[in-house]
Amino acid sequence: MFEARFTEASLLKKILDAIKDLVQDANFECNESGVALQAMDNAHVSLVSLLLRGEGFDLYRVDKPESLGINLNSMSKIMRCAGNNDSVTMDKVESADTVRFLFESPSADRMSEFHLKLMDIDSETLEIPEAMYHAEVELPSAELRRIVADLVTMGDSVRVSVSKEGVRFTVKGDEGSGSVILRQSTGVDKPEDAIHVLMNEPVEQSFALKYLNLFCKAAPLSARVQIKLSRDAPLLVNYAMSNVGHLAFYLAPKIGDEEDEQ
Amino acid sequence: MGIKQLAKLISDYAPRAHKEQDVKAFFGRRIALDASMSIYQFLVAVRTADSANLTNEAGEVTSHLSGVFYRTIKLLELGIKPVYVFDGKPPEMKASELAKRRARRAEDEAAAAQAKEEGDAERFAKHARRVNKVTDETMQSVKRLLRLMGMPVVEAPAEAEAQCAALATADLVYASASEDMDAITFGTPILIRNLFGSLSSAAEKKARKPSEFYLQLALEDLGVSMSQFIDVCILCGCDYTSTIPKIGPRTALNLVKQHGDIEGVLRHLESTKHVVPDDFDPAGARRIFQHPHVLPAEEVAPLLEWKAPDEEGIMQFLVKENNFNESMVRKAIERMQKASRSGAANQSRLDAFFKAKPAHTQPVDEKTKVRRPLKQAKR
Repeated sequence: MFEARFTEASLLKKILDAIKDLVQDANFECNESGVALQAMDNAHVSLVSLLLRGEGFDLYRVDKPESLGINLNSMSKIMRCAGNNDSVTMDKVESADTVRFLFESPSADRMSEFHLKLMDIDSETLEIPEAMYHAEVELPSAELRRIVADLVTMGDSVRVSVSKEGVRFTVKGDEGSGSVILRQSTGVDKPEDAIHVLMNEPVEQSFALKYLNLFCKAAPLSARVQIKLSRDAPLLVNYAMSNVGHLAFYLAPKIGDEEDEQ
Repeated sequence: MGIKQLAKLISDYAPRAHKEQDVKAFFGRRIALDASMSIYQFLVAVRTADSANLTNEAGEVTSHLSGVFYRTIKLLELGIKPVYVFDGKPPEMKASELAKRRARRAEDEAAAAQAKEEGDAERFAKHARRVNKVTDETMQSVKRLLRLMGMPVVEAPAEAEAQCAALATADLVYASASEDMDAITFGTPILIRNLFGSLSSAAEKKARKPSEFYLQLALEDLGVSMSQFIDVCILCGCDYTSTIPKIGPRTALNLVKQHGDIEGVLRHLESTKHVVPDDFDPAGARRIFQHPHVLPAEEVAPLLEWKAPDEEGIMQFLVKENNFNESMVRKAIERMQKASRSGAANQSRLDAFFKAKPAHTQPVDEKTKVRRPLKQAKR
């Protein structure tokens, strides 16, 4: 038996919106401590890592660890049937080949339930090393979304460089080039607008804007986003959901891009 | 012709070793392609509406050039780095197989001519498609085109598939791509079939997905060693020797497992009614599979460079010499340049940085793979 209840459907909706364009099918691994999902896109360039801690749910119960193979598009269709303020209960009895979604309106006068067929997904799981990053930047997630949305219209890849002056995003395209620089700021009046740049070593690395643009769909999940990067290593973009868990994205860098940049 | 029914044997008895794959999953991979196999496929597939090959002004066939040109560009757009490997001199032991193919071709040629005379378009198409001579000239023109496109060209001293397998074993490429299963008998860790299937016209797209075969998993699940696997392949029927009548793949597998190797199997067969043909030479065939004549990896490694296309060279060759449509070729070259600019060429893969955890060992049921209810999947 697996049973998990969220007070508000909106969180689950936002999570699905953030990952369903990147990954089609994924296994939700449910165990005592919570629900985890790890999946790569088709091209194996990026990876989604979702963690929802058991404590983050209203009610959470797992008798035996379960792996729920789900088509995210189908799940998203079902979640669209829930009102934002509805509570959501997901449950599955051990031998069932479907998972049930139960939506209840806040006033408890409307209830709906949907059953989603489970799939057997044969996917590779990657071992993500606990790495020390050369640089970490924390900024408002809306700010990152804006930068990426602006730059993606100009070119395919962005060069992210972290130095003492701050973090710089540079794009070069057929029509021209551009860059945005963010400097460290404490956000005296508005701490939620602060920009923290932590640099152990200067880093400069190129990434595909197409993927970053998809990652930024997670912005509604968290007001703040962390970017961590190292030389010749994947980029980590992390959206922490307070008390609930996190949604993290990893993106493999572009290599051998230096020549035409300099 | 490859190894008879090996693909089926593997899918039936080692289902984990065969997996359909989305073509996008090959993003960023170097893949060694058996060139003559690809060219042959293009000669079959790239035709005009009345089943004739594309030709230039002089009446020379150009289907292969069109196929190589456009599909290579599609591979590049998918972020795949192709390495075309060409056949050298076939091993002498292949002579009888080649003679058989020549005879078949002559038959088809005659049948096609007859059908044409009788005005039977359908039958003409059927036979005309089978008449495909891959001549030395065909190969030379493809090599010239690939070099103009900046693609690496590897000229194997003997069998291309053996060379592909050697490159994959040396980790210079991710996999070998061929329609024949030989490459896996030559030891390629991964074999890709139908790589081009998914690139062809929209109508065919759905029907044929590329699939991967994994040698290691095949050995594990068939329960044989590599040399036993080669023996099974020889018994199934390969290009280098004849076969024993009434021994199919399944029997071959069981016999080799029971008796250790072909020699053991032959001793056992003495007491049965199986007739072993005089020209059955397993030792010779085994020698070809185990010690094929190939270029050493360190000699090939420096050749594996993907350069910018020589635009004027391509225009000269395809448009001036072979009557390709100028604006279409220009557009294609543009696509090619865009593919390398857009960075499909330099985007790395995440699994180059993070290691895969050991895959779960649950066997996959091919037929109902995706929507299989979990109930059946329970261990």
